[in-house]
Amino acid sequence: MIHPAWGPFLFDTSAESWLARTPLAPAQEWFRQYTELFPVHISAVTVLERTRGYALLWRSESGERRGQIESARIAYLSTLGQVWPVDTTIAVVAAEIMALAPQPPTPAKRSHKFSESRQERLTRWRCDTMIAATALVTRMPLVHNNAGDFEAIRSAVEIDPARFPGLGPLELARCGGLV
Amino acid sequence: MDALGQAERIARAKHVNLSVVVAEALASFLQVEKAREHSAQVLRGYREAFQGFSAEEMMILDGIIPETRKR
Repeated sequence: MIHPAWGPFLFDTSAESWLARTPLAPAQEWFRQYTELFPVHISAVTVLERTRGYALLWRSESGERRGQIESARIAYLSTLGQVWPVDTTIAVVAAEIMALAPQPPTPAKRSHKFSESRQERLTRWRCDTMIAATALVTRMPLVHNNAGDFEAIRSAVEIDPARFPGLGPLELARCGGLV
Repeated sequence: MDALGQAERIARAKHVNLSVVVAEALASFLQVEKAREHSAQVLRGYREAFQGFSAEEMMILDGIIPETRKR
């Protein structure tokens, strides 16, 4: 269990939405307590991923549904807490991670009706490296819902700590392990 | 112990007027209430941001883009 008061934490894109939507009462209570104590810290990369999603959904729909998607997008942007930009330091750290682990550690998402291209998978991997770099530079534990990617980044940082002077280790907390 | 009695005990222990203790307690209460209101506002905003989307649409909102959605 991780107490909300041990924050602040940086939230990965899928962790942010998971905590906001979870039907699990203990996780809902954890997030309620957390938001009483701290802003929800996210990377600007999460804003990019999320709003790109809203834009793609909006473009694939028409009429009233478009209005609903736009309202949701505005609600999201109005709710943002602390958004960390990708500054020079974060860019340098993300570049080191990308050089250490240029390829995604897990395959593209595929199901019978859903297929993520290799290019999209690579894009998502690079977004994850920038989010992890933000957690390292801001020295916040990263709450995530994507162990495959972030554990690989933690390992990469541990393999060559000299390339991350004064930073690390990357502290990770799975959504499911918060309560 | 009732709240007023407890406040009087704290005031005596700290050698301050009762009004100082009451003012500090009120300030703490207002701070907690403000945090609660802010939290409720954040959770309400998130609910509005993510309600009415299917599981596949939520994946897209999480940055997982299927090939067919790309334009």
